[in-house]
Amino acid sequence: MKYWEDIRPGDTSTLGSHTVTAEEIIAFAKKYDPQPFHLDEEAARRSIFGGLIASGWHSCAIMMRLSVDAMRREEMAGVGSPGIDSCRWQKPVRAGDTVTVRTEIMETWPSRTKPLGFIRRKAEMLNQHGEIVLTVIGIGMFQRRATAPGSGA
Amino acid sequence: MTDLVYFEDVQVGDTHRFGQYAVTREEIIEYAQQFDPQPFHLDEEAAKKSMFGGLIASGWHTGAMLIRMLCDHAIPGSATTGALGFDDLKWLKPVRPGDILSVETEVREKTESRSRPDIGVVKIASRVHDQRGETKMTLVSLVLYRRRSARPAAG
Repeated sequence: MKYWEDIRPGDTSTLGSHTVTAEEIIAFAKKYDPQPFHLDEEAARRSIFGGLIASGWHSCAIMMRLSVDAMRREEMAGVGSPGIDSCRWQKPVRAGDTVTVRTEIMETWPSRTKPLGFIRRKAEMLNQHGEIVLTVIGIGMFQRRATAPGSGA
Repeated sequence: MTDLVYFEDVQVGDTHRFGQYAVTREEIIEYAQQFDPQPFHLDEEAAKKSMFGGLIASGWHTGAMLIRMLCDHAIPGSATTGALGFDDLKWLKPVRPGDILSVETEVREKTESRSRPDIGVVKIASRVHDQRGETKMTLVSLVLYRRRSARPAAG
């Protein structure tokens, strides 16, 4: 298990990748973000985006999934997040795009009230052309080694 | 047809309240299976043993519910064309099955785009409340509005 103490400022990592399909863009849009440029190929072609694009909240969800899969692989003791400093949808994510995420730890600090530690992380999503499509700077909470059950500390 | 609300029509301080989003256990688990498979979003038993004491929605799922309420109530009457992103998102309290969410928005700031004369950026603070009036999530969106001056004559 990796704990808060194992995460250090400057640590970088590249998460897995995901190829976005038109079907999943439309399915997400139908449920959560039914705007024409996320929902309908024809309407999207006539919009300023020139074609179907994923909801920005869908891009964030894909970034989250890639993060959770990486946390599981590395057995990191993540326990959620109090929030996000900033999120920028810099370029549209389109059907057929293959996206990946690179991350960098900006800072870490312990909780003063709970047996947890915080990290501030910058995560950039890139498409297959190497263009940054999404940047999220957010805070993560992790268990601390000394207080983890069964850590023997 | 009712005229749309353009950048020029938006006033700093404008507030709106809308939405009634009923959160179900099934939807929390379905979203989590696809996008955020952490035990406290996915599994009632594991969630009970976690620091949250029961199943809670992914924070990104709450964000998705917010955009759904905006799509249903706020966006249709507005000349918006997407958003640049958001700042200062805070997940203040867990969203749980049975919660009924609503939204309160307030216009904070308007900026004309320097690069695009047909567009303005409006900072809109959104607060997501539950049925008890507790605030679950807040954020400040950077919404793109078309400018009335740039509207095609036949509009």
